Amino acid sequence: MEEDKRQRYSRLKRMILGSMIGVPIVLFVIVLGIGYYYFTTSIETSTISSLKRIVEDHRQMIDSFLRERTANLEFVIHSNSFQDLVDPEHLYTIFLNLQKESSAFIDLGVFNEEGTHVAYHGPFKLVGRDYGREPWLKEVLKKGPYVSDVFLGYRRVPHFIIAVAREQDAMKWVLRATIDTHLFNEMVKKVRIGKTGEAYLINADGLFQSERRSGGGLMDQDPDISAYPKQHDGTRAFIEENPHGEKFLYATTWLGYKDWCLVVRQEKSDAFRALRSASYIIFLILVVGISGIIAIAYFLTNRIVRRMERMDKERDLLGVQLIRATGLAELGEMAAGFAHEINNPLQIIRSEQALMEAILAEMREKGELPVTDDSSELSDSMAQIKLQVDRCAQITQAILKFGRKGEPVSREVDLRTFIPEVTKMISKKASVQGIALKEEISEETPLIEEDPAHIQQVLLNLFNNGMDAVTQKHGSSGGELTVGARPGANGRVEVWVRDNGCGISDENLNKIFSPFFTTKPVGKGTGLGLSVCYGIVDKMGGSMAVESEMGVGTTFTISLPTAA
Amino acid sequence: MDKMQMMLVDDEERFLSTTKKLLARKGYDVLTAASGLEALQILASQTVHVVILDVKMPGMDGMETLQEIKRRFPLVEVIMLTGHATVESAVEGLKSGATDYLVKPTDVDELLEKAVEAFEKRKRLEEKIRVAQSRSFMRSPREIMRDTA
Repeated sequence: MEEDKRQRYSRLKRMILGSMIGVPIVLFVIVLGIGYYYFTTSIETSTISSLKRIVEDHRQMIDSFLRERTANLEFVIHSNSFQDLVDPEHLYTIFLNLQKESSAFIDLGVFNEEGTHVAYHGPFKLVGRDYGREPWLKEVLKKGPYVSDVFLGYRRVPHFIIAVAREQDAMKWVLRATIDTHLFNEMVKKVRIGKTGEAYLINADGLFQSERRSGGGLMDQDPDISAYPKQHDGTRAFIEENPHGEKFLYATTWLGYKDWCLVVRQEKSDAFRALRSASYIIFLILVVGISGIIAIAYFLTNRIVRRMERMDKERDLLGVQLIRATGLAELGEMAAGFAHEINNPLQIIRSEQALMEAILAEMREKGELPVTDDSSELSDSMAQIKLQVDRCAQITQAILKFGRKGEPVSREVDLRTFIPEVTKMISKKASVQGIALKEEISEETPLIEEDPAHIQQVLLNLFNNGMDAVTQKHGSSGGELTVGARPGANGRVEVWVRDNGCGISDENLNKIFSPFFTTKPVGKGTGLGLSVCYGIVDKMGGSMAVESEMGVGTTFTISLPTAA
Repeated sequence: MDKMQMMLVDDEERFLSTTKKLLARKGYDVLTAASGLEALQILASQTVHVVILDVKMPGMDGMETLQEIKRRFPLVEVIMLTGHATVESAVEGLKSGATDYLVKPTDVDELLEKAVEAFEKRKRLEEKIRVAQSRSFMRSPREIMRDTA
């Protein structure tokens, strides 16, 4: 039974705990998940779009650099005649002017239509060399301004050149300048994003046109990328893994002025660092939230289950008390029936005994019964039988009183004489417990018309409660119990019982008339006494009130209607 | 009219016989009836002054018997014998015309005392009736005279 109950509670607890944890956690995870999804998506989008913006801005810069340098050369070639340019002094002056424009120019050379390097200013000795078969020369002569890929050339150093051509008086010549690779590199590399962000150029064959910070010299093949977006694809962003298993976020765009591809890339983990910290935070929130939910659910479940247990216990107790009360009533009825039946045989025993006694007396008179020890013992036995039958009669009558039923029988009761009668019934008990009984009954107390047995029951109950309270505080001496009666307001009678006992706490004071409320140990009191009293008084059309002060005493006051 | 004639009515045979013997020893003549019906039959055929009637009996119970006795033989004094120590049943009996009540188990002496008391009451009542009757006899000629006057 007890085991069953415990199992039931633990099942209940698991159920409540399960739903209290499960439901909020599911909701919590869903909310967090949606939040995480939108958050990460927006971070990803913004990271990618910022990378795209960077690559576009950078492209414009590189484009304009190349365009400006070309424009510089165009200006020079169109503002000077071939004769001016081949003059070394003049070329030097022009070169200095160009360098003022941009320090990226490191040399300047003039070629005739046949490709002979006719004039040169720079760190190499290139005058007189024949460039007639160089593809760039053909290109520039045919199509105009030309920017080369990085190449080694005669000087065996990776560099690139910008060349422009002019035709005048049926004569064509070409002005060529080498761009400082270092400076150009620095310009291209200048982009800095996060820790691993870098920018570089590759040509259409996938060769580096600028150095890559993370490794990759000029003119080397880019090892990390398999397929470049085709030219004029616009700006693209994608993620690709290199052969070492590192993932990169790429943004690529083709220059407008030259068929080079600008690549800006960043390690994926670096690019999405914000994402990872967001994940950490979300994970932290998840852990803290779930722990919180579990803790709260646990706490609440424990409280709920404890309260349910308490309520169950109270209900069980109430049930037990109810059963006891109805049991008591049934027992009363049964006992009454039983007592009634016992009275008949008792009557016969008594009659038989009387007959025997009468016969014995007659025999003694006639002298038929000698006076011996035996005969005196016989008389003693007879007396004993009578005594014991009387005792039985007393018991049955007590039981019959206890189990009494039926309608109340009202009659006029004079409290001035009735109360002392009831008091007398407890005087013995009171004196044993050292309680002084006092009566303060006013001579003006009017008559009432009630069932005296009921009045007696109420008074006895109050007396007994009072005596209990008194002995609890004073032990066996110093107790006082006062009963009084006086005419009350509105033509009523007031009867009160006052004790100087332990008193009743405010908290209990509200409950004392409730059925089954008792402060006595289990089995000592049914908690029905005062409630029954209250019911009786109420039925009489009266009212019952209580005043009490802890440690000072308690007064019960009953107000009853007077006899009409 | 000098000697009291009692009748015990109870469903307990042994109580009847023992009490009868006991009362006989004390010099009283007692009739017994084991039921209300039997009691009524006896009352119809013999003179009984005091009936001691058990309240609780199978068949016709004490209360019914009491009412029947009071209806048919109003002069018979009835003492209720109740096993129930409550005022209620006694009051009910008294209201229905019983002279007195006894609570079981009762002492024979007590029973006798109450029976004698009831018998005295009966005697007084009969005396009153007798006087009243004789007064009415005596009054009659006077009335005749008054009528003639």
